[in-house]
Amino acid sequence: MSGNSVNILDIKNIEVMYDNVILALHDVSLKVPKGKVVALLGANGAGKSTTLKAVSTMLASERGKVTKGSIDYDGNLIEKQNPSQMVGLGMVQVLEGRRCFGHLTVEENIISGAYSRKLSKGDIDQELEKIYTYFLRLKERRKSQAAFTSGGEQQMIAVARAMMAKPKMLLLDEPTMGLAPQLVAEIFNIVKELNQKEGVSILLAEQNTNIALKNSDYGYIIETGKVMLEGTAESLLNNDKVKELYLGISKKGRKNFRDVLKEESLNKKIN
Amino acid sequence: MANELLFFMEVLVGGLLAGTMYSLVALGFVLIFKASATFNFSQGAMVFFSVLAFCGFMQDFNIPFVLAFILAAFLMVVVGLCTERLVLRPLMNASEDTVLMATIGLGYVLEGLAQAAWGVEVRRLDLGIGDFPVPWIADNLKLFISALDITAGLVAAIMIIGLFLLFKYTKIGLGLRAVADDAGAASSIGIPLKHIMLLVWSAAGVVALVAGMMWGARAGVQFALVDLALKALPVLIIGGFSSIPGAIIGGLIIGAVEKILEVYIGPFFGGAIEGWAPYVLAIFFLLYRPEGLFGEKIIRRV
Repeated sequence: MSGNSVNILDIKNIEVMYDNVILALHDVSLKVPKGKVVALLGANGAGKSTTLKAVSTMLASERGKVTKGSIDYDGNLIEKQNPSQMVGLGMVQVLEGRRCFGHLTVEENIISGAYSRKLSKGDIDQELEKIYTYFLRLKERRKSQAAFTSGGEQQMIAVARAMMAKPKMLLLDEPTMGLAPQLVAEIFNIVKELNQKEGVSILLAEQNTNIALKNSDYGYIIETGKVMLEGTAESLLNNDKVKELYLGISKKGRKNFRDVLKEESLNKKIN
Repeated sequence: MANELLFFMEVLVGGLLAGTMYSLVALGFVLIFKASATFNFSQGAMVFFSVLAFCGFMQDFNIPFVLAFILAAFLMVVVGLCTERLVLRPLMNASEDTVLMATIGLGYVLEGLAQAAWGVEVRRLDLGIGDFPVPWIADNLKLFISALDITAGLVAAIMIIGLFLLFKYTKIGLGLRAVADDAGAASSIGIPLKHIMLLVWSAAGVVALVAGMMWGARAGVQFALVDLALKALPVLIIGGFSSIPGAIIGGLIIGAVEKILEVYIGPFFGGAIEGWAPYVLAIFFLLYRPEGLFGEKIIRRV
């Protein structure tokens, strides 16, 4: 694999264990093409966050480990790196639950994202102004303490902070969790804009299947640590199984993916 | 009447200034608590280690005062470096309790090293500042206040202003405050925890050195300095573990309260209540305001 391949991220058959005993991912493979938005979908506990943390190497701090498979990011094999080295390579994860620095002001939060870059005061101000063009709302609140801003604003702070590191790739973990529909749309607009104008590749973990797919190029659905289905965003949106299981457009009651597959194979046998 | 008021003022001011010495010790704890959410049990040993090394440089090698101070401060940076590399980094993903235990062990190592290198006898430390009333103040204000107390107060003020500027206006200070708020999020955006740890441990070492010099000048440089760390505990409970202003004000409160209680209420208990009165005060704080006066409350949006 080299840096000029079409995929910025190439995960091959990884298995992840926590505390050496708890198997969180069985077999996950996925690719993120350069400059594209890829959605990683699934329910709580499916392994979305674990997959993202395996890529950003944040797993180690939770006593997790990639035990099989390989992760190739922009020509680098991810093995023993630490998160700050990954940030140096241009990959930044926006953690689940926003995780702003509550006692810092909004602006200090955003500036902290540039910590890994050697910038002068003037450069930082310039970068800051550029970031504010995407996050107008934050500019108005730049002097407020981050803990007192709204959930939507905190999510924007987290993304703006990550953008200050000038990433080539962003890993977004449930950016719309607990937000009102209007804010969900606003966040996704910003993400789309960052992707198109700044050329950032994005891997996005979401439970909000519908809006995530509408804003992505490609999607993967994982369940209990395995990739169950993948395809272009459009094909997934029109897939009957996805409609039934994840978009709530169903004739019968709720099922999980495995049940559907089982039913299918049964039907095949009968036929 | 006027004499009584004057006497009270003298007790109060003396207590406040003595309190700044507690503040200095407590400051070292706060620095490390901010970055690693751990109570550093080796802070007392660091005080002892650093000031003994300072005395050793000055008295055994006849190194001049300023150079000896610089050497001792540098030594504390080396101690910080070794602590980060040998103790904290291997325990990077361990629980806070594990780190807490490690600091107890580190304390013993430092005490042992200090005594092995510089001997066990009590050393006199002469800073050239007497522990006697300043004549000018005694003549003009009729207050008897020790020159050493005034010096300790000034030094504490300078260190606090310095640390405040460091945290508020430098890049590494921003990094430290970020780590103090959420270490996981800080590492996710590329703030290297090891740099921050090195900074706080070095800063805590230098603060320990200054505190040790002040205490050493008063009570002699001896093993008992290690137990001084215990006095910082009520200071921190009152001021809040994570607040630098809290450490300062907590120290002042403890200093003033223990002197006033000693003088006015002590006789009813047969004296010597200085030793335990601060802990009683601390218990009241634990009951009614566990985060301390200035501790960072967990901010929750409603």
